[in-house]
Amino acid sequence: MISNYLKLAIKVLGRRTFFTAISLFGISFTLMVLILLSAFIDAEFGNHQPLTQKDDMVFLERAMMKLIVQDTTWEVDSLRLDGNMVYDSTMQVKDITTSTSTASAGYYLCNNYLRDVTGAVNYSFYAPSRTFDLFIEGKKLTFNAIYADAAYWQIFDFSFSHGRPFTKQENDNASQIAILSTQAARNYFGSSSNAVGKFLELDGKQFEVIGIIKKLKNAKPFVSADVYLPLQTINPMAINQDNLLGTFEAVFLANSEKGKADILASLEQKAKQIPLPNPEEYNNLYLKGTDLLGRYALYVLPISDNNYDKAKKVFLLITISLLLLFVLLPTLNLINLNVSRVMERSAEIGVRKAFGAHSGSILMQLVFENVILTLLGGIIGYLLAYIVLYLVNDSNILGEIVLQFNTTIFIYSILICLAFGIISGLLPAYRMSKIHIVNAIKQHQI
Amino acid sequence: MIQLKEVSKVYQTKTIETTALNNISIQVSSGEFLSIMGPSGCGKSTLLNIMGMIDEPSSGKVTISGQSISNYHSKALARFRNQKLGFIFQSFHLINELSVIDNVELPLIYRKTSARERRKMAAEALEQVGLKNRMKHFPGQLSGGQKQRVAIARAIVGKPGIILADEPTGNLDSVMGAEIMDILLKLNKELGTTIVMVTHDETMAQKTHRLIRLFDGSQVQ
Ligand SMILES: Nc1ncnc2c1ncn2[C@@H]1O[C@H](COP(=O)(O)OP(=O)(O)OP(=O)(O)O)[C@@H](O)[C@H]1O
Ligand SMILES: [Mg+2]
Repeated sequence: MISNYLKLAIKVLGRRTFFTAISLFGISFTLMVLILLSAFIDAEFGNHQPLTQKDDMVFLERAMMKLIVQDTTWEVDSLRLDGNMVYDSTMQVKDITTSTSTASAGYYLCNNYLRDVTGAVNYSFYAPSRTFDLFIEGKKLTFNAIYADAAYWQIFDFSFSHGRPFTKQENDNASQIAILSTQAARNYFGSSSNAVGKFLELDGKQFEVIGIIKKLKNAKPFVSADVYLPLQTINPMAINQDNLLGTFEAVFLANSEKGKADILASLEQKAKQIPLPNPEEYNNLYLKGTDLLGRYALYVLPISDNNYDKAKKVFLLITISLLLLFVLLPTLNLINLNVSRVMERSAEIGVRKAFGAHSGSILMQLVFENVILTLLGGIIGYLLAYIVLYLVNDSNILGEIVLQFNTTIFIYSILICLAFGIISGLLPAYRMSKIHIVNAIKQHQI
Repeated sequence: MIQLKEVSKVYQTKTIETTALNNISIQVSSGEFLSIMGPSGCGKSTLLNIMGMIDEPSSGKVTISGQSISNYHSKALARFRNQKLGFIFQSFHLINELSVIDNVELPLIYRKTSARERRKMAAEALEQVGLKNRMKHFPGQLSGGQKQRVAIARAIVGKPGIILADEPTGNLDSVMGAEIMDILLKLNKELGTTIVMVTHDETMAQKTHRLIRLFDGSQVQ
């Protein structure tokens, strides 16, 4: 019986080329978008090096200082009571923020106050925002640099194709050594395989290359750079001045959810205790930590006051709505298409029932047709996604992000296909299977 | 074979009530060729559909081979229709997406018949209506007369005891109509198939064993 349904479905789909083509286009396009989207989400939020420990990380990407003054206002109410005027005055005290400054943390702040954060089992300070211009054979190259301490290489698990990360000792000694990305090594030395041991000139100083890291799957600015240098080789001004704000970020590693909460609380606590050098300028310091998602959300949605929680909520809301839109619209469209297609076939269904088909077999037949159609659309969508993925990766549209298929995405897309096929087929099929034979046959004659 | 006892059919819409059949009692015997005539809208199709159990009467009793029908949606009734009845419609109702032979096989799909057996039976049925050479064609490639012959092949492929034909020649010219009529007469004579046919053609009706005339839902002859 099943093979009958199969054959029948293939025959019907093969003969109704126009309808089949339209449905296939809709299904394959939707599935392609879904597959690409999940590949993108996987690249951005999946567990990939160097962010395998991302779920245990708390970032302090910026610090905020405010000058808050108290504003006092008096209000006087008067009313007549028993023939006398009664005056009632209230004093209102309001906090008013008169100026705000938000920036990365200064090394002074990190070094003096953030080394004993509760809940942190490891931590790293790094400065991700420096660029260098390099000249090689008359050509100018611009390198993004990250200054990092030794713990950086423990928290972010980069994989090295050649060489090694630098040690605490090398950082403390301000050794002039560098780690390059594969692409940077290629651009500068022509090849990444023989770069270790060679020297790189940055701002007139020679740095020995000690390691090459493999191409990253995602391009977060705090891990993606052309060159990584020991933190202590940074301009001494950046380390020695006693500014609370500066160019540094801190990342703390917890080993539990509670640890992460402790870190957040500890940072807020510390912000209140740290003495402020110039209270007339700023009299309040805020240190708000965040996880990766919050960081991402605030980057995409500029919400004031570093409100990570709000940013996360809005971000998730927008993302889920978009996803729903992407899935819901085509599903509704498909159901609609199916309803009209099945209605059009009411005469056929009436005839089948007159010749002895019962409701169950009509239902099976129609759902079968739809599942085959969606699976076919799924295959096409998958191929399309594959091509687009290749083009996207090849053209570097997404910068350093590398989109990849994996088995999870594959299984999900097959499940999505089946769900699509059954949901969009079941409703019209059910209605049709219950149709009154005489009415079904008559409808055709009008 | 088919027995209708005091059958009525009333269509109830929001504003009006139409009595399509009014208290009809008919008995069709096995091997009989019966024709039904009457002006348009008098209830001929309704009567035929009730005899074929694809429509439910508002009141009265339908008995087929001694069994009365209670549930019109049961699997058992579907199986009964599949094995004992064959339908021929005025506008053919072939499935355009299926080839001629696949169309003819349709009733057998709902039986436990092997694919090879189905092919063989369908080919035989097509031979009976003289269309063996058109097996691989699609309905869109056939003339009206050929389409109706395919529909007859589909109605007889399962060797049903009863064939119900609603104006089978209504959409055909007189030559083709006569051909179709000959096939039906032959079926009735050679295989003993019981046939009930609605027609507007007096000469065709005269060729059958018995003629029933309807007027406004009531039997007048
Ligand atoms: N679904 C329906 N709803 C309401 N009235 C209906 C319905 N089907 C049929 N009727 C009415 O029932 C009456 C009988 O219809 P029927 O189709 O049986 O006539 P007929 O004799 O076959 O006519 P024709 O020769 O035109 O085919 C008609 O008056 C028709 O309008
Ligand atoms: Mg009629």
